Amino acid sequence: MKTQTKIYFAILILLTAVSFVGCKKFLDKDLQGTLTQQSFPQSPADALLATNATYESLREWFYNAGGYPIFDIMSDDARKGSNPNDQATTLGLYDVFKHTPTQDGLDRYWNALYVGVKRANVVIEKIPAITMDEGLKTRYIAEARFIRGLIYFDFVRAWGGVPLVTTTEPPLKLPRASAEEIYTVIIGDLEFAVANLPLKSGYQGADLGRATKGAAQAMLARVYLFRHDFANAEKYAMDVIHSNQYGLEPVFTDANGVNGNNGIESVFEVGAIQSEGTESGGNQYANTQGVRGTPNRGWGFSRPTIDLRNSFVTGDPRYKGTVINLKDTIDDVIILGDGSTPDITYDDQGNIVEIECYNRKVWVPGNNTITQWGHHRRLIRYADVLLMASEALNENNKPADALIYLNQVRQRARQGNNSILPNITTTNTSELRDIIFNERRQELAMEGWRFWDLVRTGRAAQVLGPLGFVTGKHELLPIPQSEIDLSQGSLVQNPNW
Amino acid sequence: MQKIYQPPKSIRIKTTGLLILFLTGFLAISQAQVRTITGVVTAADTRETLPGATLLIKGTTTGAVTDLDGKYSISVNTEKATLVFSYVGYNTKEVELGSQRVIDVQLEPKKTTLDEVVVIGYGSVRKSDLSGSVGSVKAEDITKITSLNPVQSLQGNVTGVQVTSTSGTPGESPAVRIRGVGTFGNSNPIYVVDGVIVDDISFLNSNDITSMEVLKDASASAIYGSRGANGVIMVTTKMGKTTEGKTVFSFSGELGMQKLAKKIDLLSGRDFATISNEIKPGSFNNVDAVPNTDWQGLVFHNAPVYDFQLSASGSSKTIQYYISGGYFKQGGIIDKSSFERITLKINNIYNLSPYVKLGNNITFAPYSQQVAPDVTYAVYRANPTLVPYYPDGSYAVVYNVGNPLASLAYSNNFNKGVRGVGNIFAEVNFLKAFTFKTSYGIDAGYNHSESFTPAYTVYNPDGTISQQQNVMSRLGKNDNYNLTWLWENTLNFKKEFGKHSIDAIAGYTMQNTTSDGFNLSGANLIRDGSNFWYIQPSYIYDPANNVNTISSINESVDMDQYYSMISYLFRVNYVFNKKYIVTATFRSDGSSKFAQNNRYASFPSFALGWNVSQESFMQNIKWLNKLKLRASWGKLGNDKIPYWDRYARVESNILAIFGVNNDPNTGATFGINGNPDLKWEVTTQTDLGLEFGMFDSRLTAEFDYYNKKTDDILVLLSTPGYLGNGVGAKVRFNAASVVNSGFEFNLGWRDQIGKVKYNIGILGTTIHNEVLSIGGNSGVDSVLIGGYLGNGIPVTQSSVGLPIGSFYGYKTDGIFQTKDELNAYPHDAQAGVGDLRFVDVNGDGKIDGRDRTNIGSPIPKFIFGFNFGVEVYGIDLSANIQGQTGNKIFNAKEVVRPDPYNFESHVLNRWTGPGSSNTEPRPSFGGYNYTPSDHFIQDGSFLRIRNVVLGYTMPANWSNKIYMQKIRLYVKADNLYTLTKFTGYTPEIGSGDVLSAGIDYGIYPITAVYSIGINLNF
Repeated sequence: MKTQTKIYFAILILLTAVSFVGCKKFLDKDLQGTLTQQSFPQSPADALLATNATYESLREWFYNAGGYPIFDIMSDDARKGSNPNDQATTLGLYDVFKHTPTQDGLDRYWNALYVGVKRANVVIEKIPAITMDEGLKTRYIAEARFIRGLIYFDFVRAWGGVPLVTTTEPPLKLPRASAEEIYTVIIGDLEFAVANLPLKSGYQGADLGRATKGAAQAMLARVYLFRHDFANAEKYAMDVIHSNQYGLEPVFTDANGVNGNNGIESVFEVGAIQSEGTESGGNQYANTQGVRGTPNRGWGFSRPTIDLRNSFVTGDPRYKGTVINLKDTIDDVIILGDGSTPDITYDDQGNIVEIECYNRKVWVPGNNTITQWGHHRRLIRYADVLLMASEALNENNKPADALIYLNQVRQRARQGNNSILPNITTTNTSELRDIIFNERRQELAMEGWRFWDLVRTGRAAQVLGPLGFVTGKHELLPIPQSEIDLSQGSLVQNPNW
Repeated sequence: MQKIYQPPKSIRIKTTGLLILFLTGFLAISQAQVRTITGVVTAADTRETLPGATLLIKGTTTGAVTDLDGKYSISVNTEKATLVFSYVGYNTKEVELGSQRVIDVQLEPKKTTLDEVVVIGYGSVRKSDLSGSVGSVKAEDITKITSLNPVQSLQGNVTGVQVTSTSGTPGESPAVRIRGVGTFGNSNPIYVVDGVIVDDISFLNSNDITSMEVLKDASASAIYGSRGANGVIMVTTKMGKTTEGKTVFSFSGELGMQKLAKKIDLLSGRDFATISNEIKPGSFNNVDAVPNTDWQGLVFHNAPVYDFQLSASGSSKTIQYYISGGYFKQGGIIDKSSFERITLKINNIYNLSPYVKLGNNITFAPYSQQVAPDVTYAVYRANPTLVPYYPDGSYAVVYNVGNPLASLAYSNNFNKGVRGVGNIFAEVNFLKAFTFKTSYGIDAGYNHSESFTPAYTVYNPDGTISQQQNVMSRLGKNDNYNLTWLWENTLNFKKEFGKHSIDAIAGYTMQNTTSDGFNLSGANLIRDGSNFWYIQPSYIYDPANNVNTISSINESVDMDQYYSMISYLFRVNYVFNKKYIVTATFRSDGSSKFAQNNRYASFPSFALGWNVSQESFMQNIKWLNKLKLRASWGKLGNDKIPYWDRYARVESNILAIFGVNNDPNTGATFGINGNPDLKWEVTTQTDLGLEFGMFDSRLTAEFDYYNKKTDDILVLLSTPGYLGNGVGAKVRFNAASVVNSGFEFNLGWRDQIGKVKYNIGILGTTIHNEVLSIGGNSGVDSVLIGGYLGNGIPVTQSSVGLPIGSFYGYKTDGIFQTKDELNAYPHDAQAGVGDLRFVDVNGDGKIDGRDRTNIGSPIPKFIFGFNFGVEVYGIDLSANIQGQTGNKIFNAKEVVRPDPYNFESHVLNRWTGPGSSNTEPRPSFGGYNYTPSDHFIQDGSFLRIRNVVLGYTMPANWSNKIYMQKIRLYVKADNLYTLTKFTGYTPEIGSGDVLSAGIDYGIYPITAVYSIGINLNF
């Protein structure tokens, strides 16, 4: 062929090729390496994956009240911590009840809770359609409903009624449900969990940490206590006690420490690996509060107050189990603290207002930050259940029964030293009410419950008033302003904010 | 009569030639009437010798041709004669012979301003036939700036273009914005390198480029429809000319020294101690006895930059070629940072027949980069009363920020890779007017990065472990590749008949992009040496720390790089009688990034041009030799989003930790919601232009008004929390509108006074940027928050009526001077006497987050440039000055202060008592006064002498002696001087993220560069 002919021929081939490959399919590109929500979950294995993911939402840093333990900081147990400047204008404002709807952290907490709700809803909504072992299927759904109930309780306690989402495809505009509606969902979820979850002993060793019947019962006790429904609180707390699944760790520090991980006292905890990073299995909760400086275990937020330090009776081993002081030696590590933090802070009158110290409850043996990420945050421990039982029994006018469980806690607390923390004997319900309330502070300090105990018992104004607490306002957090803005006004702010 | 002297074929023959010349000269002396005239013909503009120039004795047929070195010799046997010199593209010159024997001639280039050819998409057009707005930079201006990235040369040379360095890190690409910021996402223009569409041109050596054209308005860029919205930059690389018979070699070499252009004025040790004592009495017993460490001096040092390039170009009967090799190396002014690049370029055209052409343009660029850890922030913050080393030479602790010298010493971050960009094409001309072209282009990249940090500890003075510690060695590796192919087929029709001229093109193109990458990480390597930087696939148990470390492998599709496109394009340019120009362009694009129903979009544009000066009624106005009006309107698209944005995705590799052994149990669940309804973002642009030339084009001017409105902007918006997308998660929507409008002008004056040639240019652009809508009816946010500081506080908020990325914070109106004043105003609980007074903007009697407001825009209102050049006796001097006004900078590095850090020296003007200062509050190490407010907003206006070059081109007869056509030596300075009020290293704060522009987080400083260089042609 002549060159010219060859060329025309080549063009013809090219044009044919163009029209051939130029068909529609060329522009169809599938998502790479990632499933779409239309294609998941489909199999029994998917069902397990979806269920596991639900737990992870509790290990997310922001699940912990937006990252920082603001509920301890808002209580009389803790101050902001770290050095004076660090997060002074953000976290520091919670300490003095000057936080506002735009306060840093509120949106993180709010969002992290809804991530958990979404993940639970995936299991609850999608797994029923999967063909698989029915027993296992029911357990998965019950695990997810336990977590959804737990999270909605976090919600309702912090904000009151919030938009109620029980499906994976909520509408784009959703107003707040009432607190009652939220409680209905919480109780429904937890009752389903009680009915369908195994006892702790029903799990293999490798599955310890999954939600149990006991955990769901304990949550119900907590919820009813918060609602002053003492009959139900008593019932569910006693169910946990009578299940014979739990006991108290002999050593107080093991109740939150590594040795007690998934131990006898653990009713529900968030497992973690000693690894820096949420993705790789760590939990930043303890890193946030870890000793600042030397050894470098973390940022040192949430510092036990002078008031908390002084509240322990002399010799109470729980003092050492709650507060890390400078120059302490723990697990062979000497605590030297932080150079930018004053060892002692005085006010204008020369009174000591703060002493550099740290939260012992999150201590993990080690001398670096990485290990600190391995702390298993206890969301429910048996001592709490005993004290809930004691409180409910007392309120139900059974003080003698209440004493049994209160004294179990005190007995462990004295750690064999019979000269301290004698058994309580009074059966005056009013007196006992104060004693139990106090016992909760000593036993559960720095674990995130104090603020809520003050609020639910109506003592917040008296105790926190001097710190800035305003009745009728600070019982709830403000709805994050960003969420109100996003809703274009369909979310209504809490009163007085 | 003697024969015309024939040019010799080689240097060896040349010597013989000289001998003959000498002999003929000698003969000439002996024969009185027959004189031999010799000389060299050079080009007046380039001072290069002109081989093949012809000369004739006027009125005769006797003549000669210059040899390879531009030399000629001719015998003249009459007393009086005139020699006529001519050369293609140059004005003919006549020289009357007197008694001279040696006549060197300089030929002036023909004035071609009116017929300058401009490269546009899928073709080129005479400037007079152009109806769109196109800015152009030629080779000599492109090489003026010492930079890895040729796009730097557009700054100050083309109106409407803003090129801002994002960092001085060697190898970093600048942010380029054409006519403002039109979208919230990727706002970079596209580059078309010899027909291949790429997203940046850092792989090109400036010396390989002939011209860069910036297509600014819709008419010019609509042919790139979907991708043209942020502007198009056409890059044409060099090619051997058909007229260039012999091979031309060019060498350019440059050595430069980079220097920190400016130090930030920080407190000395003594001043720091003084201030510390005011904040916390007793911090320092004797402020005169504290050390004074200049951390900037310790970390920054001068660093060299090298740039060499050798090329050969020319043509044979059928082949045109250009090949080159280049080497660029830039050291960093911070240790452990550098960039090195080799560029290989091969461009060929094979003219198989008068009708058939094949060709290729190929660049291959391997590179190697070392990236320093981010120590500028630490240098800025480091306490000046601390010393860098202990007496034993080990690194001393620097509280709160870490010792930057230790961070550098233990850092090893490398990127190595290669970028290959090129195409092959075939062009067939048939039926005279038609040309069919098919081109297949590739843009391929491979990058391998490694980072290694050994285990190390910086100790406190008492021997305890400080916070600067790496418990175990860590190794990270990342590999990724990307490959784009682009196949373009176009049919061009070009015909002139009578007064009509038609240039039409239709085409079909396909593009496909894929990429993949993976990350590996490991820890506790058995040894620290680089020969052990390999990852073991196992869990590693560290008994000392009771830690499990996991070697992890993550594979991911890199960013958005997985998509395909199909496009149909059409353009017709019709010119009637050289006066009236009509251009219509249409492009239809389909992108795989959108779901089927939204996949295709059409982008039309229309333009009219009127060469008024061609009208007969203009012919009498001699001083106005050119006048042109043009107007264009069109639509452009944008799909620069990650391809996965439309999908509702499942998040996997979520770990739940169960069991007595803390076993990781994998999980997966619904991740972020997608938006299946995504569609093309569309920019509608209108442009009105006026061009004129006066006084024989000594004065040229171009004015444009532009209005660029972008709708359906693809923007990531926060969604309500109850959708469960998570903290900070955003979903893409078509939900915003932005307008950019302004005027551009470009004035040039070019003339010659005697032997002095000079030119002056001034250009400028005004930018009005305004957000017209965001979110709104999508049930999503109506403001866009960005510019997050290190402590998580955002400082920009883009909202309706304001420019994109406007700063957001408290307004201040002074300092609380007295307790009474404090009590009289609403104030934050933490404010005290001597602190900043925030304005109660919403007037509710309290200061809280709701009082934060707009405190300035990072987008300049006016950007401008001056350039100037003068040339005489082979000496050339040029300068380029540029600047901008109307923008603000947020000095973020000053704001985030969790710990006691050093201060900028303005803190010395602090409030010390009533009346002492109403601008600088009492000193504090952090807290209230460091809440983001306008106290940290600075004026970002500047005027910068960006570039000054002084060169000398040797006379041709000197260079010829060493067989060179041209020798030019030069010295130059880049970023010589900057006039600004900004206290940071540089007021040019670029950012790839338009919501974080103008925020100085403490970037790697931009440098001043002083260089010497040489250009050789031989």
